[in-house]
Amino acid sequence: MSERTRKRTQVADVDRSLYDFTYSEEGYERYDDGLTPDIVRSISAKKDEPDWMLQMRLAALDTYHAKEMAPNWGPSIAGLDMDHISTYVSPKTKQAKDWDDVPDDIKTTFERLGIPEAERESLAGVGAQYDSEIVYHNMREEVAKDGVIYTTIEDALHDPQWEPVVHEYFGKLIPPADHKFAALHYAVWSGGSFVYVPAGVKVEYPLQSYFRLNAEGAGQFEHTLIIVEEGADLHFIEGCSAPKYYEANLHAGAVELFVKDRARLRYSTIENWSKNMYNLNTKRARVAADAKMEWVSGSFGSHVSYLYPTTILAGDRSSCEFSGITFAGATQDLDTGCKVILNGADTTASVDTKSISKDGGCNTFRSSVVVGRGAANARASVSCQSLMLDDISRSDTIPAMDVRNATANVGHEATIGRISDDTVLYLMSRGCSEAEARTMVVGGFANPVSKELPLEYAVEMNNLIKLEMEGAIG
Amino acid sequence: MDSQTTAVPELTLGRINTPPAQTWNYLRTNDVTLTVPRHSRAGDVYFALPRLFEGIECGVGPDATAWVESQASDARYVEVRAGERREEPIVVSGMDTGVMVRAGAEATVVVCMPSTDAIPAGIGTSGSEADGINTSAALVRIIAERDAHVSVLEFVAANEGWQHIESVGIVADDRARIDVRQFFLGAGTTVAGLACSLNGHNARFDLSCRYLGRGDDRLDINHVIRMRGKNGRTNVSESGVLDDRARKTLRATIDLVHGSAGSEGSELENVLVLSDDVTNKTMPVILCDEDDVAGNHGATIGSIGPEQIQYLRDRGLSLEEAENLYVRALFDDALIAAPNTTVRAAVVERATEVLGAELANDLVEALGLDRKGE
Repeated sequence: MSERTRKRTQVADVDRSLYDFTYSEEGYERYDDGLTPDIVRSISAKKDEPDWMLQMRLAALDTYHAKEMAPNWGPSIAGLDMDHISTYVSPKTKQAKDWDDVPDDIKTTFERLGIPEAERESLAGVGAQYDSEIVYHNMREEVAKDGVIYTTIEDALHDPQWEPVVHEYFGKLIPPADHKFAALHYAVWSGGSFVYVPAGVKVEYPLQSYFRLNAEGAGQFEHTLIIVEEGADLHFIEGCSAPKYYEANLHAGAVELFVKDRARLRYSTIENWSKNMYNLNTKRARVAADAKMEWVSGSFGSHVSYLYPTTILAGDRSSCEFSGITFAGATQDLDTGCKVILNGADTTASVDTKSISKDGGCNTFRSSVVVGRGAANARASVSCQSLMLDDISRSDTIPAMDVRNATANVGHEATIGRISDDTVLYLMSRGCSEAEARTMVVGGFANPVSKELPLEYAVEMNNLIKLEMEGAIG
Repeated sequence: MDSQTTAVPELTLGRINTPPAQTWNYLRTNDVTLTVPRHSRAGDVYFALPRLFEGIECGVGPDATAWVESQASDARYVEVRAGERREEPIVVSGMDTGVMVRAGAEATVVVCMPSTDAIPAGIGTSGSEADGINTSAALVRIIAERDAHVSVLEFVAANEGWQHIESVGIVADDRARIDVRQFFLGAGTTVAGLACSLNGHNARFDLSCRYLGRGDDRLDINHVIRMRGKNGRTNVSESGVLDDRARKTLRATIDLVHGSAGSEGSELENVLVLSDDVTNKTMPVILCDEDDVAGNHGATIGSIGPEQIQYLRDRGLSLEEAENLYVRALFDDALIAAPNTTVRAAVVERATEVLGAELANDLVEALGLDRKGE
């Protein structure tokens, strides 16, 4: 076969001007860099926590120091030095229920990100975290009347009705010893959300938490705990962004989701951390009988990501769907994917992921599908498609399957390739310019994920990708 | 080397069959560890292969390959001259074997681990009365020059009293074609690693791997195909049947190295699971460092569907007979592919152990053979 010279698609980088703005930290409370028991005690004392939480933090700190990172794991995080990370930075403000009560610089930040507008138009409730603390939290009255609780973990801990619930569920799905950065999270967690949806309640509009890390050389460690009781229904949206610095930032949040019998939870994430961010986040859901878990995940930012949302299909006939897209550009090494553990009988799992690599960006898709001995008639399918937009980028697919039930049926397929010249030619023969044709192909590639999002977030995602096709340059 | 019953020093070999990219360690899929005998070679003169074989990546990894080298009775270098079509298969016996297939030549390499106690093939067979486990190993490295065509046939057909390590490394130059057929039909533990590097342009690699795991068999397979030259083609097909308490791990990696523009690689595994006590682990990996390529992989893991069972029942077959059909098809294929009487005899003997004498007789009669494979 003769050597071919093929044109390459040029795709513009994500336009980050929307996200790359900062405000002074003057007047902020910022703890010393590093990780000591005194810092952990200070965080706990500031939050006036129950003693069990302090003890949990201190034990997690010991675990963090004792645990080693696996030497054979993913992209390097050598640039992350906890001695140069402040684990707690707080603006001098109290949590507000009205945007007018939020300090101007913070309010401007969230307005530029479109959060108040989204709240007015399409959300049942909003939480906004700025660095280590929630600065705004509100929920529609009619949702509250149904008994839905949407608050911070800190506030739930101070409520006699909810403190025992937090105690019962916090750290149970993701134990502090799960891995090194889970331990770190439990030592210094701050902010995040507590959501409780009573049995049978269907929340019509999504709840959204938005996490903004403004401070340089800081970490954000929010904890999200969601309990969806029997027969209830919730869509929760999580958004994150940060301005770019040259000093490493760290995000090591944790998300614990309990989906009870016959309940449904959709958890959507648009993650757009800046390219100096180490995003080492842990998410896990436990799904009971006849319940359904849906993940929609868009990962665009960060320097290095380790992100593998896990679903445990514990109950019979439970199911999960995972739709994800990852975009890795210059200087990014994103190690993402998902894990599904099928333990119940007649459980089903469907995983559909896309990745786009350009400008030397590295994408690694990892998955694990584990079918336990009790998972009779379990069904799982994994599909992974990767698009390479130039020859200096990289895309790896590393799935693993462990099947221990004879009646289970597990399928996996993956493809890696570039935009086909034939496809472009076909579209051009029908009147599209080459740039339009390539734009359509890439748009169509991302569409299965973006269509899973509410319209406003699909638009945001498309803006994030900002796939401006600028013709073909060899 | 004949099997022995005296105890010999042992060595724990770790990180065998490690794939180029790894997954979560808690899944225990990233490698395998074996306890193997360590015969002393002190005082022996070892005639090594020519140096150019040293750099060839072998599927089981450097540590296990070094162990096999250290236990081999000798090194054997075979060269097939340019343009020659060698009819007689090159049978890998108890030596570290290097095969050079010169430009335009054709050759067949056979590795066989039969089930008889008198092991004619394998390196470092040994064992102890204490554990009753014997160890055998085979190592072959192949260089296929431009336009060469190499067929590799591997058969492991031993009983549960054996653990077998098989390591293959291949490099292929421009337009070289490599066909590999693997039949892993039995052994208490089978650890097989194959690595092939398509260094030249327009080279092609086809692999068909069929396996059977039953009883307490442990089967650990590692396939690594590095596509380095332009316009290479790789097709990997694995299929197997697992029953009883068999444990199988398959790692298959297609590595589209930077510079492999125009290359395409695909890999597909089908696994039939017949028992709830089976452990089946599959890790199909594509690594891609080049944009003008296509990589695909797929895996299906399951049992015989209820509709299929009903279909077969309607035709008078019990479930056990239906399942035996799959196993029999595997032995059929192995017998057809077997290149000589030694291999055929080994396959027939293993078929007798697995399917019983009656079905094994059916097999050989259908192929016009006797029970010795002649």
